[in-house]
Amino acid sequence: MPPQVRRAFLIVAAVMVVIAVAWASFFETLPPADFSLQSGTDPKTLDPHRATGNIESRLIFAMFNGLLQMLPEGEPDPESGLQPMTAQPAMAKSYDVSDSGRTYTFHLRDDIFWTDGSPVTSHDFAWSWQRMLHPGTACEYTFQLHGVPFAKEYSESTVKVGDKVEVELWDRPDDTDDKASLQNFPRGTMRYGILREIEKPDKPPLSDDASDKQIKNAEADWQETWVYHIDVAAENADGSIDWDGQTKSQTFVANLESAAKKTDTQRCHAVMIAFGKLGGLETPDYKTFVVHLKDAIPYFPNLVAYYPTFPVNKNCVEEHGSPLWTKAENIVTNGPYKLQERRLRDRLRLLKNEDYFGVNEKGYDTIDFLSMEGQNTAINMYETDQISWVTDPPAALLGELIKRDDFVSAPQLSIYYYQINIQREPLDDVRVRRAIAMAIDRKQIVEQVMKTGQLPAFTLVPPGIAGYESAKGPIFDVEAAQKLLVEAGFPGGRGIPKITLLYNTTETHRAIAEVIQQQLQNNLNVKIELQNMEWGSYLDKRKQKDYEIARAGWIADYPDPNTFLDMWITDGPQNDTNWSNQEFDRLLQDAGSEGDPAKRMKMLQAAEQIFIDEMPVIPIYFYTSLNMIKNDVEGFFPTAQDLHPIQLLQPKEGVK
Amino acid sequence: MRDLLSYLTQRFFWMLLTLWVVYTFSFILMRSVPGNPFSSERNVPPAIERQLEARYNLDAPPLTQYIDYLVGIVTRFDLGWCIRLEDYSVNQVLAEGLPVSASLAIFAMVFAIILGVSTGVVSAVYRGTYADIGMRTAAVLGIAIPNFVLAGLAILLFVFGIKIFPAGGWGTLRQVALPALCLGAPIAAYIARLTRTGMLEVLTKDHVRTAFAKGLPKRTVIMKHVLPGAMLPVVSYLGPATARVLTGSLVLEQIFALPGLGSHFIHAALQRDYTLATGMVLTYTVILFVMNTLVDISYSIIDPRVKLQ
Repeated sequence: MPPQVRRAFLIVAAVMVVIAVAWASFFETLPPADFSLQSGTDPKTLDPHRATGNIESRLIFAMFNGLLQMLPEGEPDPESGLQPMTAQPAMAKSYDVSDSGRTYTFHLRDDIFWTDGSPVTSHDFAWSWQRMLHPGTACEYTFQLHGVPFAKEYSESTVKVGDKVEVELWDRPDDTDDKASLQNFPRGTMRYGILREIEKPDKPPLSDDASDKQIKNAEADWQETWVYHIDVAAENADGSIDWDGQTKSQTFVANLESAAKKTDTQRCHAVMIAFGKLGGLETPDYKTFVVHLKDAIPYFPNLVAYYPTFPVNKNCVEEHGSPLWTKAENIVTNGPYKLQERRLRDRLRLLKNEDYFGVNEKGYDTIDFLSMEGQNTAINMYETDQISWVTDPPAALLGELIKRDDFVSAPQLSIYYYQINIQREPLDDVRVRRAIAMAIDRKQIVEQVMKTGQLPAFTLVPPGIAGYESAKGPIFDVEAAQKLLVEAGFPGGRGIPKITLLYNTTETHRAIAEVIQQQLQNNLNVKIELQNMEWGSYLDKRKQKDYEIARAGWIADYPDPNTFLDMWITDGPQNDTNWSNQEFDRLLQDAGSEGDPAKRMKMLQAAEQIFIDEMPVIPIYFYTSLNMIKNDVEGFFPTAQDLHPIQLLQPKEGVK
Repeated sequence: MRDLLSYLTQRFFWMLLTLWVVYTFSFILMRSVPGNPFSSERNVPPAIERQLEARYNLDAPPLTQYIDYLVGIVTRFDLGWCIRLEDYSVNQVLAEGLPVSASLAIFAMVFAIILGVSTGVVSAVYRGTYADIGMRTAAVLGIAIPNFVLAGLAILLFVFGIKIFPAGGWGTLRQVALPALCLGAPIAAYIARLTRTGMLEVLTKDHVRTAFAKGLPKRTVIMKHVLPGAMLPVVSYLGPATARVLTGSLVLEQIFALPGLGSHFIHAALQRDYTLATGMVLTYTVILFVMNTLVDISYSIIDPRVKLQ
C-alpha cells in the first residue's frame, strides 16, 4: 500500500471513530416519570388473553379494566396487616345474581370508553370472552370461564354427534391453500348447524418406536382428516340461528386430502361447539351483559375481576392482528392508565387515562414500569431514588431490609411445597410419605433460611380465605414419624433406597433442599440426593413424571380454596403426582354445584383433609409478599394476592 | 484494489458458510435439549398446544421446519416471531437492542483504546519507574478482575460513595458512563500491555536508533517512528476485543439494567425461544465476521508487510 493510502486510511478511521462516538452519544431521552417501579423482566405480552405471570398482570391491571375490579374494602386485619380486597364495580356499575346463583346480570356504566373514543359495550365483553376461549387464541386461563355452558368444550375444541356446532370455512383473509391464517379474528365465513355424523378415515399406521410427540402429532393430523356431516341451519338477521328451521346437509373437513372426502366437501378450519350462539352469554342491549353458569360459582365475581376476562377492543385486534395490536402505536385499552411507549428491556411508559370513569385526580400522571433483571439493580436504583417501588427485593438482603419501615410484607395466598411421584417405591406407601412430612422442621426453614415472616405450612390451603378453615395436617413430630417408618417396614430408615429430590436451580431452593436433606438424614436416617435443573428441563422432567420428589409452588388464581384443590383431581392437567382419589374428585365436583357457601366450604375442607391425609404433596411454607415502597407514596397496602391497584397510588400530601 | 475485492468476496463466501453451519448447529442443539418453548407451570390442553405450535411452525416435521426457516431468513431476512417474547419479531428485538449494545460497545472501545494506548506508551517510555510498575500492576488487576466484580466496586464507589453516576437505566450519557468504563477496563488493561510490549520491541529497532541519532526530539521519534509499529499487535487485538465487549456486556447489561441485546441471549436459551436464540447467534456471527474482516483490512493497510490473501 502506498503511503498516501495509509495516511488517508488513518484520517478516514479517525473520522469514523468521531462519527461513531457522536452517534452513540445521541439518546432519545424521555422526561423522567412521576413514579417508577421495578417491573421485572420484560412482559411476555400485553394481550390479556395470552398473558400469564405477575409482571404481565401488573401491567394489564393498569391498562385494562374488567366488569369488576379488586379494590380495598373494610379495615386492615389487625393481626397480619392485610387489607381485605373485594371485587367491586368497574366497567359494570352493578350486577344482579339470580336466586339460583347461576345467572349474573351486569349493568355497564354509561361513561366508559376505549382509548380510541368508542364506548365500551356488552358486545365487547361477549366478543372478548369468545376470543379468550377460542383455541386459536391459546389462552392459558380458559378454565376461568369453564363455568359458562359449552365454554369448556369450545376451548378444548371437542364436539360430539348431536351437538349444535359452528363451522369456520377456510376463507380467512390470509388463508392460503397450504397454510392456515394465524389470525383467528376476524373469522372466516361461519356456518351453523347440527352435527349428524363424524366420518373417520382409517388411522395411518405408526412405527412402534414413535416418540410421544410423534404420536400426538399423528393423532392431531388424523383428526384433521375427519369429515363432519352437518345439517346447516339458517342464520336470522339478528344473528340468532334458526336451529329448528329448514336445514341443508353439508360436509366439511379440515384437510382436503382426507380419504373420506366427498366431491362437495368444503374445507374448514374447525368444527366446534357453537358457543356464541347457545345463549351462555347474552347481550340484551348495549349496556347489559348476562352470564349464565352451569352451577353456582360463589367466587365468580372474583373471576370477572381477573385479567383474562378483561375485554379487548375488537376493531383494534381485527385491524392490526395479533400480536401487532399490542404495539404502543396501535393498542386500544380501557383501563386507568394507557400505554405511551414501550421500549424493549427498558421500560413501559404509562400515561394517566383522563377519560377513565374513576380517574384519580391526585394519582401520578406518568408511570414507568422499568424492566430490570437484577434484584440488586432494583435495590440500588431504589436507594438512589430512581425508583419508588421494589417488587422483588434481593433474597440475600432480606434479613436487613425487613427491619426497615418502607419494607411491606404480609402473608400471601400461595404455597411452597414438595410434590411426590407416588408410583415410585417406597413413596407409594402413604406411611412413608407422612413420615417424611412429619420429620421436616418447617420452623427452622422459615426462621433460618427464609427469614421474612413466611408461615410453616401443614396444609395445602393458606390461611386468610374468608369462611374457610383449613384441614388438619400432620405436624412436626420425629417420634411419630419414626414409628410410622417402623410400621411401613423400614425400622430406623433401613431398607429405604436413596430418594432423589428435584428442584429448579435457584439459591433459595437449594438452601431449603439442603436443610431438608439434613433433617431427614438426622431424624429418619433417610438419604436424599439433590438434583437441580434449570427451569425448562425441570418442568419437562416433572411433566414426564420422571422424578421422585419435586419442589413446586402455587399462587392462588382467585381467593378461594378451590384454586389450590381442583388441580389435584384425577388426571388434572397440573397433577403430575400420579395421585388419584375418587372420594376427593367427588367432593370437589359436589362442592362445585353446592349452592350454600358454608356447606360448600365444609365439602372443600373434607376434600383437603383427604388430600393431606394421603399426602401426595408435602407442604413446606406459605409465601409472604415482599415489597419496598417509598414513604412519600400513599395508597399502597399489603394484600393477600399481592395486588396493588396502581390507580390508587398517589404522592403523600405535603411531601415533595 | 483487485486484491481487496477478491479478498472480500472470499470472506463473504466463508461467512455464508459459517452462518449456515452455525444455523444448523443451533437448530439441532436447541431442539435436542429437554423442554420446549411452551413449558410452563400450568399445563395447557392439547388443542391449545397444537395451535401454539402451528403458530411457530413447530408442528411441521423437523426437516421442513429447518428448510422453511432458512428460506425465510435467506429470501426475506425474516427471522420470525419470538416464541416467548411474543409481541416482538426477532428483527424488531434486534432493531431495538442492537443500537444500545453498539453504543455501549463504542464507548467501551474508545475508552479502552485511549486509556490503554496512553498508559502503554507512558509505561514503555518510563520503563522501570514507579509509574510503570503502578500501571503494570493496574493492568494485571484489570485483566484478572471479572467485569461484574468491577461493576460492583464501581457502583459502591461512584453511585453510593461520591454520587456522580446513577445506579442503572438507559437514556443519558451519565447512565452509559459507568457500564462503559467497567466494560472497557479489562480491554484497556490488555491493550496497555500490548502497547508496552510493542513499544519496547520497536524501541530497540535500528530505525529508531537512527532517528534518535539524527537528533530528532524524543516526542517525534515516539509518535512517528515507534508508535505506528507498536500499534500493530493492538490493531490485531481489536477483533477479539470487539467480541469480548459484545459478549462481556451480557452481565453488565443485567447489573446496570441496560436494554441491550446481551440479556436476550441468555433468556432465549433458557426459555427455549428457538427463533430468538437462532437470530441472536446469527447476528453475533455476522458482527464478529465483519469486525474481524475490518481489522484484517486495516492491518494490511498500516503494516506494509501484510498482504491480503
